[in-house]
Amino acid sequence: MSELSPNWLIARQSARFVLRERTVALLATLFVTLVLISAWLGWSATSTVDRIYVDAAAFLKASGQPVPTNPVLEISPLSLMRNMSVYVALIGALSAIVIGNRLVSIDRKAGVLPLIGIRPLGRSAYADGKIAALLGVVLGLIAIAGVMAVATFLVLPSVTLSGGQWLQLAGFLGVSALYMTCFGLVGLAFAARAKSETVALLVPVTLWLTLTFILPQLTANLNPTAAINPISALATPPDTSFFHWAGWLLGPLSLADAYKFASANLLDYLPQGMASPSFIPPVANIVLLTAAAACTAWRALSRIEMTQGDYDA
Amino acid sequence: MTDPMINIVRLSQEFEGFIALDALTMSIEKGEVFGFLGHNGAGKTTTIQMLTTLARPASGTASIAGHDICADPLSVRRCIGYVPENVRLYDTMTAAENLIFFARLSGVSEPKRRVAEVLDLLDCADLSAVRVGGFSKGMRQRIGLAQAILHQPQVLFLDEPTSGLDPMGIKMLRDLIGRLNTDFGMTIFMNTHLISEIAKTCTSIAVLSHGKLVYHDRIEAVTARYGDDAALEELYLSLAPQGRLAEVA
Repeated sequence: MSELSPNWLIARQSARFVLRERTVALLATLFVTLVLISAWLGWSATSTVDRIYVDAAAFLKASGQPVPTNPVLEISPLSLMRNMSVYVALIGALSAIVIGNRLVSIDRKAGVLPLIGIRPLGRSAYADGKIAALLGVVLGLIAIAGVMAVATFLVLPSVTLSGGQWLQLAGFLGVSALYMTCFGLVGLAFAARAKSETVALLVPVTLWLTLTFILPQLTANLNPTAAINPISALATPPDTSFFHWAGWLLGPLSLADAYKFASANLLDYLPQGMASPSFIPPVANIVLLTAAAACTAWRALSRIEMTQGDYDA
Repeated sequence: MTDPMINIVRLSQEFEGFIALDALTMSIEKGEVFGFLGHNGAGKTTTIQMLTTLARPASGTASIAGHDICADPLSVRRCIGYVPENVRLYDTMTAAENLIFFARLSGVSEPKRRVAEVLDLLDCADLSAVRVGGFSKGMRQRIGLAQAILHQPQVLFLDEPTSGLDPMGIKMLRDLIGRLNTDFGMTIFMNTHLISEIAKTCTSIAVLSHGKLVYHDRIEAVTARYGDDAALEELYLSLAPQGRLAEVA
């Protein structure tokens, strides 16, 4: 067997450990279950409408009346996956924070940082390994979600995706992975730098709550419950100077808004003429914020205190 | 004359204005078993943390086997092993799994074979498949020593290695340290509180008090001058007049 580089050793070891963690397993199972439910709801609703249409079309045809087009064909089949964007924004992001936190806290709580710190690997290798582990776990979760989405589209009657739509679906999964990774990186950064274990988890969760529920209120006048609804979350903000300036200033930081608009666009349910409150296009916004989170996490991990490591009591 | 294995030049450390180590200068020759004595908070662990590249010095520098700890930490890490005072490992993994992971990180070729070899050397092959979570302090200390010598380092740093061990554990560890020094030529740098251990194990000693080096000599010179352990203890206490030890005494 060829020897792995230290980065990959750290990544493999960390990913293995984190997948054995009960909290991570619970959240990952919840995320996958919700995606499965989302796929089932889409499949169930579409096939019900399709069956009713087939019966109605047969009746209309027999009675010599004109047969309207199948309503299933009037909407983009991709929009069936829109509930998944809610689950990614909520449970997916939260799972990623916990995964990021656990990837570092397992080493800190085990007290093994001094034993890792004296090995002939640069601090950057440790940082690279942890970020690679996070990416691996997040991509694994998204891959499971992707398999379910593809299976749903393959078994649904009357629904076929064009080549472009398959690409849009892949794009949606990619953007979802980026969105989750961004929160995971925040989890990594605080787990590496925080002195207390509670702060290491509480700060990223507060940040997630702010980005998901508070910023959309300031940029688009969305109340918190509306923010978790992919349809109402796409409302146009009031035309006032406050929302104009809030959107301009806070829009680029409003990650949840960017994700909702990017998802709606990729899954073909974004109403025409509607745009995100940010002046930066949604996908670019997510890429920029994830890159910023990656730099922060890398810096925090490569400067992690290796002398003892454990959190303060 | 050959270059010293450890060469420390005005090494200093400071924590928020508190001087933990004040311009420590000394050298340790190849093949020595060096005992570093000092009261709690004297700066012994701080010194080890800087020499093992776990912490950066505030000023000054040191070299291990000719490699500078600040300029070339990776080369330093290749030639050192370290056993912390409280050996902590991944509790949910077995001893062998822990050691294989650390062996791979150290770039050991054939890590499984090497781990089996080291566990045999330390007479703890029976612990190989046991989860570390249930280990006693003595067992952890032995696995801690195993992880430190997997890559056959030239210098072994031990931070209070006998702390919390029973007399049998202390004797076993002393014998192991002796074997690593004589059979494998490892230079040993050992922080300790136990004066009785010094004469039995070390070839040279130094005493640190409030971050300052107050004594450094070869053990023959010390025993010739002070005789038995009790006299050595007198020396130790007299060298830390402002310290907590003196207050207790």
